[in-house]
Amino acid sequence: MFSQNLREMLDLALFWEYRQILLAGLAFNFYVFAVSAVVAVSLGFLAALGRVNPLRPLRWLGAIHVETFRNAPDYVMLVWVHFVLPLLLSQMLGQRITFAPFVSAVIALGLVYSGYLAETFRTGIQAVPKGQIEAARACGMGGALIMRRIILPQAVRMMLPEAMNNFVSLFKATTIVSLITVPDLMYRVSMVTQQEMRPLPLYTGAAITYFLLIWGVAALARAGSERWRRKIWA
Amino acid sequence: MGNWERLVWNQRDVLLQGLLVTIEICAIAFAVAIVMGLGLALIRLYVRPLRWIAGFWIEYCRATPIFVQLMWVNYVWPELIGWPTSFYTAGWVALALQSSGYLAETFRAGIENIGRGQREAAAAVGMSPILAFRRIVLPQVLVMIAPTIVTQFTVIVKSSTLVSVITVQDLMFQSQRLVNVWYEPIEILTATAALYILFIFAVSALGKALADRLRLRYGLGT
Repeated sequence: MFSQNLREMLDLALFWEYRQILLAGLAFNFYVFAVSAVVAVSLGFLAALGRVNPLRPLRWLGAIHVETFRNAPDYVMLVWVHFVLPLLLSQMLGQRITFAPFVSAVIALGLVYSGYLAETFRTGIQAVPKGQIEAARACGMGGALIMRRIILPQAVRMMLPEAMNNFVSLFKATTIVSLITVPDLMYRVSMVTQQEMRPLPLYTGAAITYFLLIWGVAALARAGSERWRRKIWA
Repeated sequence: MGNWERLVWNQRDVLLQGLLVTIEICAIAFAVAIVMGLGLALIRLYVRPLRWIAGFWIEYCRATPIFVQLMWVNYVWPELIGWPTSFYTAGWVALALQSSGYLAETFRAGIENIGRGQREAAAAVGMSPILAFRRIVLPQVLVMIAPTIVTQFTVIVKSSTLVSVITVQDLMFQSQRLVNVWYEPIEILTATAALYILFIFAVSALGKALADRLRLRYGLGT
């Protein structure tokens, strides 16, 4: 019984048979990932700038942003953005607005991961010794120039490993967009399962696919960022 | 404000019941994850023949998205090994699996961090390796990794929202059911999101304070 089931689980022929549909689904994971990563990095950077700003209201704003989105579960945020945000916007603008599932997915994941990334960025920025900033100011550099020439080049290197972790988490989180009907790999797996009535090979195939992908990318990212850091510091 | 009262305050029993299920399933998953994580770390460190299996298992748990794992446990395991038999069990098993991988690596780093000399000293005063681990190594490791363990609990709470997908009646499930009854998502979902955010914020703040006090008390101050 068990060995027969095991054979069926590892019999990925069915998974392979649907490879085109499933691969097209995987592409959606990458789209969602890429666009929400851009959103998350931009918002996260703004929030981090807010948190290290000398102006108290901006610091508060940054802190509220970070604490809200870092503590929000991805799925709750996804559902909220998809079902509540369009209604709120409709009420405000006086016209009916709906979000395509893809748009909701990008907004929700972008917001949540901007919270994590903001903390990563802030740690990187604050790790740059204060003396350097004072020295730059003494040379007559302005705030934006100091950020661009002195802080960012060092901060980016310092926060790279943690940012890579954030990105890996973000990619993992893209699997839940199937729940608001973005046709990603998981969505298509559940569709095919309903047709074939054989969840074993299909869900196992999906798990293996995601595992190999994420594990490989995480290992590459780790090696890459380590090497880059070493090269720069040495 | 009428809507808030009708849709949220008057439904507070349902929502709180959901929150209770959330807390319960997270607590079970957390306890199992800690035990499993410690076990996996010990196997990876000390049981040479099984080292590769434990290592692979840890990597698998860490690199697979929680939603994928939940579906895998829920649909594949019952057919493969006849367990878990309920959605509730599948829910906490998936949550525990996911976290056990992370915790195993945390435990391993902690254990490796304890100097070899301490274990040798324990052996010199006649402690067996198991006693030395229990009395000397483990307490220090737990204090050292307390903040990471707290973070992992908040990760479990965040991931636990997904068990509503397999009809476990947690807070997320109850709030979506209310939305389906009333067709008015704004207040219900906003309240749910706020509840989750506040709950997770409180847990991590409280946990961090506790962990800091523990570390301070045992001389590992932040």
